[in-house]
Amino acid sequence: MILAVLFANSVGNVLIERFNGVPAEERLTWRSFLVKLGAENLKGVKNEELLVACHKSVYIVYTMLGDVCIFLVGKDEYDELALAEAIFIITGAVKDICGKPPTERVFLDKYGRICLCLDEIVWNGLLENTDKDRIKRLIRLKPPSEF
Amino acid sequence: MAEASGKTLMDLISADPTPIPAKSSSSASASASASSTASPAAASAGSHLQQPMSTKTTLGEKKSKRATLTQIQNDTISVAKAALNPVKANIMPQRQRQKKKPVSYTQLARSIHELAATLDQKSSQKQLVNHVFPKLAVYNSVDPSLAPSLLMLNQQCEDRNVLRYVYYYLARILSDTGMSPGGGIPTPNWDALADIDAGGGVTRADVVPRIVNQLTSEASNSETEFHARRLQALKALTYSPSGNSELLSKLYEIVFGLLDKSKADVPVRCRSTDYVPCRFQVADVPNKRKKGVFGTKGGDKESIIRSNLQYAAMSALRRLPLDPGNPLFLHRAAQGVSFADPVAVRHSLEILSELAARDPYSVAMTLEKLASPAGALQDILHLNDVLARVALARLCHSISRARALDERPDIRSHFNSILYQLLLDPSERVLSDQHFIASFRTDERASGWYRLTREILKLPEAPSKDKSNKTKRPQPLIKLVMRRLESSFRSFSRPVLHAAARVVQEMGKSRAAAFAMGLQDIDESVHVNAFSDVLDDAETNDSSHPEGIRRTSSISAGPGRNETIASLLASLMEVVRTTVACECVYVRGMVVKALIWMQSPHESLDELKSIIASELSDPAWPAALVNDVLLTLHARFKATPDMAVILLEIARIFATKVPGKIDADVLQLLWKTCLIGAGPDGKHTALEAVTIVLDLPPPQPGSMSGLTSLDRVSASDPKSALALQKLVQAAVWFLGENANYAASEYAWESATPPGTALMMLDADKMVAAASSRNPTLAGALTRLQRCAFSGSWEVRIVAVQALTTIAIRSGEPFRLQIYEFLYTLAEGGVQSQLSEMHLSNGEDQGVSGTGLGVLITPMLKVLDEMYVGQDELIKDMRNHDNANKEWKDEELKKLYETHERLLDFVSLFCYIPKAKYLPLGPISAKLIDTYRTKHNITASSGSTDPTVLATGISDLIYESTQPAPAASNSSGLDDDLVNAWAANLGDDGLLGNNAPAMSRVNEFIAGVGTDAPDVDEENVFSRPSVGYDDMWAKTLLENNELEEDDARSGSSSPDSTGSVESSISSHFGGMNYPSLFSSKPSSQATAKSSGSKYQSTYEGYGSPIREEPPPPYSYSEPQSRESFENPMAESSSRSYGSDDDEPRKSTGTRFGTALYDFTAGGDDELNLTTEEELEIEYEVDGWFYVKKKRPGRDGKMAGLVPVLYVNQS
Repeated sequence: MILAVLFANSVGNVLIERFNGVPAEERLTWRSFLVKLGAENLKGVKNEELLVACHKSVYIVYTMLGDVCIFLVGKDEYDELALAEAIFIITGAVKDICGKPPTERVFLDKYGRICLCLDEIVWNGLLENTDKDRIKRLIRLKPPSEF
Repeated sequence: MAEASGKTLMDLISADPTPIPAKSSSSASASASASSTASPAAASAGSHLQQPMSTKTTLGEKKSKRATLTQIQNDTISVAKAALNPVKANIMPQRQRQKKKPVSYTQLARSIHELAATLDQKSSQKQLVNHVFPKLAVYNSVDPSLAPSLLMLNQQCEDRNVLRYVYYYLARILSDTGMSPGGGIPTPNWDALADIDAGGGVTRADVVPRIVNQLTSEASNSETEFHARRLQALKALTYSPSGNSELLSKLYEIVFGLLDKSKADVPVRCRSTDYVPCRFQVADVPNKRKKGVFGTKGGDKESIIRSNLQYAAMSALRRLPLDPGNPLFLHRAAQGVSFADPVAVRHSLEILSELAARDPYSVAMTLEKLASPAGALQDILHLNDVLARVALARLCHSISRARALDERPDIRSHFNSILYQLLLDPSERVLSDQHFIASFRTDERASGWYRLTREILKLPEAPSKDKSNKTKRPQPLIKLVMRRLESSFRSFSRPVLHAAARVVQEMGKSRAAAFAMGLQDIDESVHVNAFSDVLDDAETNDSSHPEGIRRTSSISAGPGRNETIASLLASLMEVVRTTVACECVYVRGMVVKALIWMQSPHESLDELKSIIASELSDPAWPAALVNDVLLTLHARFKATPDMAVILLEIARIFATKVPGKIDADVLQLLWKTCLIGAGPDGKHTALEAVTIVLDLPPPQPGSMSGLTSLDRVSASDPKSALALQKLVQAAVWFLGENANYAASEYAWESATPPGTALMMLDADKMVAAASSRNPTLAGALTRLQRCAFSGSWEVRIVAVQALTTIAIRSGEPFRLQIYEFLYTLAEGGVQSQLSEMHLSNGEDQGVSGTGLGVLITPMLKVLDEMYVGQDELIKDMRNHDNANKEWKDEELKKLYETHERLLDFVSLFCYIPKAKYLPLGPISAKLIDTYRTKHNITASSGSTDPTVLATGISDLIYESTQPAPAASNSSGLDDDLVNAWAANLGDDGLLGNNAPAMSRVNEFIAGVGTDAPDVDEENVFSRPSVGYDDMWAKTLLENNELEEDDARSGSSSPDSTGSVESSISSHFGGMNYPSLFSSKPSSQATAKSSGSKYQSTYEGYGSPIREEPPPPYSYSEPQSRESFENPMAESSSRSYGSDDDEPRKSTGTRFGTALYDFTAGGDDELNLTTEEELEIEYEVDGWFYVKKKRPGRDGKMAGLVPVLYVNQS
């Protein structure tokens, strides 16, 4: 289960978050834990360099893309490797939409499309589509493989 | 438009939603526009017609009443006003305005309603896609009142982009919007808001059925052109909360219908048996797949549509709850393996692997054909999708491990061969793939291997029948695995490093498990080179395997192979160690954990120590991680009790390096477990590890640990100072509780002739003698003494308490030493003796003015009382001896009463085994025993004493009484204990399943079974309360002269007169009382005769003072224990029901009946009805704690009742 996907800006405001199977009362804790983690470790990190953390049996993979920090929290089958895979797809999709590592402004400009993309990549806590073209087609409401 | 949206999120949040000025206020046009807004929706559902409008009006009217909702109200009102404008006019001006002002939620909502109404215009669609929908996404959640418009859009709009958004928002409304906010700008709880507007709010409950209806009908629409929308509709449906069973069955219906349909499209069809279609498909689909995957554009339309639908169905099925027992479900899932769509295949494999974890047999049967060499599962090996392969690996793993398949080795071997291929196959492709793919492939290998570790290692021995495989397989596999791991450690990606370290940790765990099991095996596998255990763990992991298999395998792990495995491991560990250089703390933490797990008891730990020490000096380590590593130590210890000493050494590093970050409870838990498990040899080290904490922070030589340094820390960081203080407190408490255990020094089983100490009047000599005799306890005492007068206030209190505990529990000369110390402390004169060792901290070193005296006085009084009692006894005995008199009954009674009184006092301070403890010294044993035998008094064993439960030593006592006999068998390691641990390990599932040990430890720590003492509580508990002081005052008033007498340090103190004789007699008593005790239960006559024997022997033994070396501590412990306890128990059971009125306690459970009705006066008391049958658990202060056979009228089963109300049977 991918417990959480969280986008934050560099000052720690949450831009997008998707929690799956995390009780409402724990979300706040996770949010602040992740933001703190990012604030401590993401300074001066290269774009898309993956960082890792774990808390008990929960894994966290996070990275920086332009002005945006992206966090993924997972457990069980979504260990750090699977999360790395997922975050790779997500950063790829965001870059595709924004054309380059986004500034916060660009990110907000494309906010809607990013949400749709995310919707296609992580669906109910499980990684869904990994192929770029497929995602592109799906967010335009085209069938995944065309004829 | 772009500029408008280019605001930052914060701008949007903080923006003041100023109302848009109304241009015209004609109510006629308002209602007109409102109806135009809603009219399309009216076509589909009349009930929602006027809602948007009515909401606004209500809100507007009640505006002043709801201050809390002002913002939303303002918004709504502004929209209401804006609604007065003609629709078309509204769009354009709004756009211009938005260049300056951020868009409020209500503006957006408003636009949706309007634009939905004017869909026919191109500009509206553009506006929606480019402007309204993306901005709406910024908000946390979507208002359910938007649903009608969205549904209308869904029905009427043709534009794909608009529709995609519509599905997105519908899905968000369907999922618990209030529950799962999506980040961005916070929105209110719409449902709650709607509830307040009782008039016209729209809640989720209102709209969800409509949405579901529309989406289900779309999902069942079989038009070709429509199928992309079907996909999305199905997807949106899966977002609805799974609690709705009606919806769920609908969804299953749709999904199965889709799958059924797609199957119907397969050209070759045969439905005669269940398996046939499946098989045909297998034969048929690979060709199709080629088109699906490799020739995306070229496939025929029909098959592509089919595969798309299959994908949607499979994805939806994956999100639906598993239905393990349902063959149809399984069949559908298995179908997916041969689909053309790669994502569908992955989902199908994931479902199957989850099913296989529960019911491997039926899954294996269903997949039988697919797994065969030409089957569809083989094709997956070539799939590009890493996750699919991982899922396949898991599937194969659980199937090939399943015992249900023991009788079908053929099937199993199919899966095994896939496993091997998974392991071997992609390595060639790694080279050809792009760079990042390569890294992911190694990842997948790593994770795959991690999941398969045990499997790989086990396979050669356990399941496959052919011998040739057995001997050849493991070698290359392990080599391969090691090489892969090593290469992952060279990766630059931190997740990869982390995962690799985790794999190594898991490896260490299974290795440790193998060690633990190896201890139990008496055959040669114990002595085989340590590294063969890596092989061994394979089969020991599967603990269910019969002994025979394990044997053969340990033989097959011959020495020849060990060599290579050892070297492989060594080189691997080398790489692991270098990974410590990684800059990510978490990776390093994982590496350290891995190293701890891989550390074997026989290797040198210098390297590990230095690694940890240097690691911990890095301030970047978060406290949680440090404690995590400590817990790893704990888990490691549980796996291998031998390592207690090593682990404590490591724990010591933690305590010295990062005292502020360690959770005192965690450390205490570790100490305690290690102390118990350390065995006789390790106890000293274990205690040393604890005392080191007292010298924190890194000690200046010869200095005091406490206040100055604490103050310094607190100046910089109050939080860590507090933590440190707690740690020190915990350590002091721990010392007090457990020093006696660690030093094997108990007053009630002291092997030392107590008198020898009394002869040495010089305190220094006394201490010197004591420390040479028992360095462990002496060391602890010194540390505690230091703390008692130089720590911070809290530490001093705990230290004094700890000292008292030790004083009460230890024999002489330790008791005397502490007594002296406390006395001096109370007088405030310790400084003169110890000041050269300690710097002044500005606080009075003594008691005066600090209030410590209040605490010390009662403790001193107890000791005083004890010494006075001893002196009296010695005097009396001498008198009797001189006059050659027998002891009279009333004399004995008086003695016994003193004994009991002292016992009660003493047990107020700490736990002591009441049956054995002799406050009047060992010489009193015989007399008291005589009295007891005469009067049929059962000595309480103490282990049911409620105080035991609270002091935390109960388990130590238990441990010490149970395994100690074995420990003294010079085996060095207690077999019982090891067995228990090994068994525990088995139960814990460390061997059986893959549950990480960490979580178990965490549970252990969080759970009720925890005996990690909470420092604060303990303090509260053991601190003498006012009530206690009052009691003291009362008793002491009665014994006024006694108190005066011992005001001058008591008559049994070194300068007391009777010391020589008493030393002899007590020596004698000390030597003999166990055996005397053992003869006790025979009869009164024997007791008497033994009493006379005692008299005579005593005479003969008399005068010469023998300088006998003290007997070894372990002297005859086993026998003495046995002879000790069994007769006691026997006598207790026999002598029960006698008429004495002494407080009794028994070890076993007793039964009784209620004599009278009793009404409970408090929560802990229990109502009784006459004649009720009871089970008596224990007695405390005139109350029985009893259990009823069945609950009474009040429903209570157990509680306290007065002793007199119960007739014991």
